[in-house]
Amino acid sequence: MKQNRREFIAKTGCALSMVSLATQVSHFGVMSAMAQKADDESVQTDAPSDYRALVVLFMSGGNDGNNMVIPNHSDANLSNYAAYTTARGTQGLALAQNTLLPIAVPRMGNLSYGLNPNLGPLPTGVNNINNGIHELWGLGKMAIVPNVGTLFAPMTRTQYQTNAVRRPFQLFSHSDQVSQFQAGRSDVKSLTGWGGRTSDRRATADNPNGLVPMITSISGSQLFTAGQTTSPLAIAAAPAGLNTVLAMGGFGTSAAEVARRAAFDGLRTQDLSQNLVKAASYITDQAVSANLALANFQEVTVPFPTTGIGNQLKQVARLIKKRTDLSINRQIFYVQIGGFDTHTGQLAAQSTLLGQMSQAVRSFYEEMVTQGISDKVTTFTMSDFARTFNPAGSGSGSVGSDHAWANHMMVFGGAVTTSDFYGVNTSNGTPFPTLVQNGPDDSDSGTSARGRWIPTTSIEQYTGTLAKWFGVSAADLPFVFPNIGNFPTNRDLGFLGAP
Amino acid sequence: MRTNKSHLFIAILCACLMVISFAIPVFAQETDPTPDSPTPILLSESNSTRALAVNPRKSRGLNATKAVSQAFSVGKKSKVVLYLTNLDLLPDEGANAFRVYAQDEKGTQFQLRVESIDQITKGQDGIFALTVTIYDDLGYWGQPAAAGDVLINVTWRGLTSNRVRLGLGKIGGGIKDDADAVPTPVGAKPAVKGNEPTPNYVGYRQSGDRIRFLEQATFGPTTELDSRIRRIGLRTWLAEQFEAGYPSVRYPEVPAQPTVAPLLCNGSSNAASTPPDPVDEPINCFRDSYSQYLPQNWFFQEAFYGNAQLKHRVSWALAQIWVTSGVDIQQSSHIVNYHMILSNNAFGNWRTLMKEMTLSPTMGEYLNMNTSTRNSPNENYAREVLQLFNIGLFMLNQDGTVQVDGTGTPIPSYDQNTVNNFTKVLTGWANCNVPASCPNATLGIQNYKDPMWLNTGANHDITAKTLFSYAGSTATTNIAACTGCTGTALVNYANTSLDKALDNVFNHPNVPPFVSKLLIQQLVTGNPTPAYVQRVANVFANNGSNVRGDLKAVVRAILLDPEARGNTKTDANYGKLREPVLLTTNLMRQFGVKSADGLANSDGYINPQSANMGQSVFRTPTVFNYYPPDYLVPGTTVLAPEFAIMTTGTSVQRANFVNQMVYGRIAVSALAPFGTSINLAEMQALATADATGNRLLDALNFKLMHNTMPTAMRTSILTAVAAATTPLAKTQAAIYLIATSSQYQVQR
Repeated sequence: MKQNRREFIAKTGCALSMVSLATQVSHFGVMSAMAQKADDESVQTDAPSDYRALVVLFMSGGNDGNNMVIPNHSDANLSNYAAYTTARGTQGLALAQNTLLPIAVPRMGNLSYGLNPNLGPLPTGVNNINNGIHELWGLGKMAIVPNVGTLFAPMTRTQYQTNAVRRPFQLFSHSDQVSQFQAGRSDVKSLTGWGGRTSDRRATADNPNGLVPMITSISGSQLFTAGQTTSPLAIAAAPAGLNTVLAMGGFGTSAAEVARRAAFDGLRTQDLSQNLVKAASYITDQAVSANLALANFQEVTVPFPTTGIGNQLKQVARLIKKRTDLSINRQIFYVQIGGFDTHTGQLAAQSTLLGQMSQAVRSFYEEMVTQGISDKVTTFTMSDFARTFNPAGSGSGSVGSDHAWANHMMVFGGAVTTSDFYGVNTSNGTPFPTLVQNGPDDSDSGTSARGRWIPTTSIEQYTGTLAKWFGVSAADLPFVFPNIGNFPTNRDLGFLGAP
Repeated sequence: MRTNKSHLFIAILCACLMVISFAIPVFAQETDPTPDSPTPILLSESNSTRALAVNPRKSRGLNATKAVSQAFSVGKKSKVVLYLTNLDLLPDEGANAFRVYAQDEKGTQFQLRVESIDQITKGQDGIFALTVTIYDDLGYWGQPAAAGDVLINVTWRGLTSNRVRLGLGKIGGGIKDDADAVPTPVGAKPAVKGNEPTPNYVGYRQSGDRIRFLEQATFGPTTELDSRIRRIGLRTWLAEQFEAGYPSVRYPEVPAQPTVAPLLCNGSSNAASTPPDPVDEPINCFRDSYSQYLPQNWFFQEAFYGNAQLKHRVSWALAQIWVTSGVDIQQSSHIVNYHMILSNNAFGNWRTLMKEMTLSPTMGEYLNMNTSTRNSPNENYAREVLQLFNIGLFMLNQDGTVQVDGTGTPIPSYDQNTVNNFTKVLTGWANCNVPASCPNATLGIQNYKDPMWLNTGANHDITAKTLFSYAGSTATTNIAACTGCTGTALVNYANTSLDKALDNVFNHPNVPPFVSKLLIQQLVTGNPTPAYVQRVANVFANNGSNVRGDLKAVVRAILLDPEARGNTKTDANYGKLREPVLLTTNLMRQFGVKSADGLANSDGYINPQSANMGQSVFRTPTVFNYYPPDYLVPGTTVLAPEFAIMTTGTSVQRANFVNQMVYGRIAVSALAPFGTSINLAEMQALATADATGNRLLDALNFKLMHNTMPTAMRTSILTAVAAATTPLAKTQAAIYLIATSSQYQVQR
């Protein structure tokens, strides 16, 4: 059943939505265009015919990729398991080889690599409701992009050491590296994110009715979601139902209550010359508007873990299930799992988090299969940075690692070309870095070098591949990724098939 | 006996009265000036709202005949001189006290670069030349088009001028004047300054400013505090508050527990297990020891009822700078000890706070300094003590603006190498768990009360360290290697090194503006002018007696600054969104918060409501606090940190919180032994006395909005009040509508 905004408003019989509309018009250009379009009866809107969604899984705090994807071979020409355990074993941070979950990697000559053991089935009783993401590799639904990080332009170790190429600002600082990952640029402090800018370019075409914004965050406000002319929905995770997360309580149906509601809505149209007042009113207005669109929803069918990340992805799955009602062609979601800043106690902490992540992603993938759109929904990881290859502290209970740079990213979904490593080669001729402190990929140097890999694949190349699949045109790419011009090659890393 | 006791009592009472009677005249010497700054006026031509404006290359002084209608170009080299009057500048108040905005026909706002301000005529209606570059440095919306008139306004100390026209590229275009715009030619009468007190008054009559001040300095105004400030004034009240005993509600006293919860304190019981797991003893041992339930309840009780409001408020501000979090720190006793350091130093010296926080076992645990050793160093604390607590990432001017190099790129204040060097200094400290050495050490339990210490110094890095180099620092502030030192010499070396390193940070030129700006944002406004930051930073750098880091002086400077004070602020970007904690406590205090049945005090169990809105006390999600200080309102260039947790989801939670408290209460439950409610009787009496709701609205306008409620807002609310049928329903409707409105939720 198709429904444009005007019909929608008429059906709900609710005048306050017009208030929302009025304030939206005064706020944002695209919103304004959108609203006008919806008000024009001649505009036909289509149900989503080629739906596609991106799901950002942000591993907050800086996930130690060095303990997520590990060499599981003894090939002497590349960093092998022995190189790994030599660097990390003494202080107790190395994972035992017989616990790794093996994956064969075509790009690495079919050498074996190992995933962190918690990315497979978990011991029973720890939210073990599926076999985790390791199986997705075998199914060809999971790609790994090693050595991804913030870059202004491609940079060799020598260029780094001599400052011959501009460095991203404030490497190794959480807030700045997070914002660069989310902004999709590493040269200046950005006020908008690459998700938001994607929405700026696509909202008019792909979300013509604007019943909800194109982007939804289940983890609060994030730079990633901030556009120049569009702004996101941010709602609570499951178990809260979609029909409750934005429900305004306390309004009855008596004349007095209707009058109070009218005043409540009316106040949001006043004093808009005050910028802070206007901003607060606009956000509330979006909530009131979206609440109407989310008034009913269908529950997902696949069981999700009841962890924080499980509940977030469950909420995403519910929204995706509602895509036809919302008549939206393209959606972007942001979910986050925190706690990866493992300066100490890493072994226990990271494995717990990876286990939660793996279980939740697997449930989400299976739910997409059930909904029949697993090839239309791509989930991918981002994180602040990797962590030093050289551990911090020692002893299995307390050993951790410090802030570093290039990291391994994962992509999940039916659109994945084939399970493999992707990305730009390091100096060893593969995309996987050489795991040697003070080695060819280390930005540190000297005897106290700690193994902070210099990225070979930039966030622009990694996420640009995702944005292209999503529908960002070549012409719009420089708007979404302002420094893409510095990366003339490898703009499509090939891990997603042609849409 | 009885008689003796009474005599004793009277004697004590007299002694107290004598102290008070001596104390008050001393305080009272600090009188409060009129808080209102004059409203700046941009001069226009005599017969239109077109700005008097000249090209500075042609003329610097004011020559009204030369300032004929002309258009200006846009760009980094295009300057224009505008003329301002009705200013009352402090001796050192310069260009960075002003912001200039241009709005185009589409409604897009640009912020133009201010170059200089020069007084060109003296006297009562002195005229100032404000030189502006027609270029938006941030360029969020690009640059204004050279497509005709824009409307220009100037803001100063939270006040906006009138708006005048300026032609860009050409004269004319479709933009309309403001409805109330009139020509403001040279010699026009300055606007009335506002709420001028009568000459023979006693006390502080600035009613709007009193409420504003209490919103900034406390957890919410009350009638009682308002009366007190009316009687004794702001300065005397501040002096009282600096000495007030704290806390009024005792800190929770929960004994520290082992890191792994013992069977008697793990929140579970199972008699059948081996060994049997008994019921917790005392009954809620796990909840009370291993969660922040008690500190959170204490925090809100102290906010609701405490006498030392200012100390509690400044401690809360400091807790949002020197962040630790119950998300990682399990035990309530550890959080309490951390908070004691904040409150003990809230009116002390920043340098003392730096050291006590550096050696705080809670901070040591949170940012891992307690496990950082010379062989396995941990950078976490070293990085954040620079980045988040003291210095920031970029070199700052004294007014808090970022220093840039020749290409306009911000200059970093340090790099990884600096972090590595400070990390070395900070190696080797650990909790003092040796009973003979530290008074609070108990075997088997981590000592979170005494500062961390170096037992032997064996884990301390004794190599040389290079510290910050800046004007005033010398090579001797670097730390030389300790060759061959052992035992006491090594421990002394490490402790001396720590003090040197902290001195080196403390004296860094970034610290005064960095810290001052954070505190201003916490207490007064999210988007302070650089001039305001500079005035406070100057006090931070030197309190007038050559003391750096005197927080009492800093807090006084923040709260008494002309940008903070005034009955009304009109700058569209002034103020801050009430963070959930303050939204909660302001509403509760304004309406006499009590237990659910109204007969006793609230138990303070209201953190779940605050957490729903995005701010769980003592449980920040990360070391980056609930929101970053540099967060901009989306689509604007306005700094507004609290908006980072204002989302569609939390905006609804804010309204629902007001709904719960105005129409309901927090009922008694297992976690809420007394519950929480507000008392509307006083307001309800006004609704009874005047069914139109006007008296009710007058009172609420004063209480909640310091008499700034716009007419349209009042009309909307009165309509809803009229529709409500009972005095209670009228009262509830009015309070609900005000408290949920953006006009109230943004504190201005």
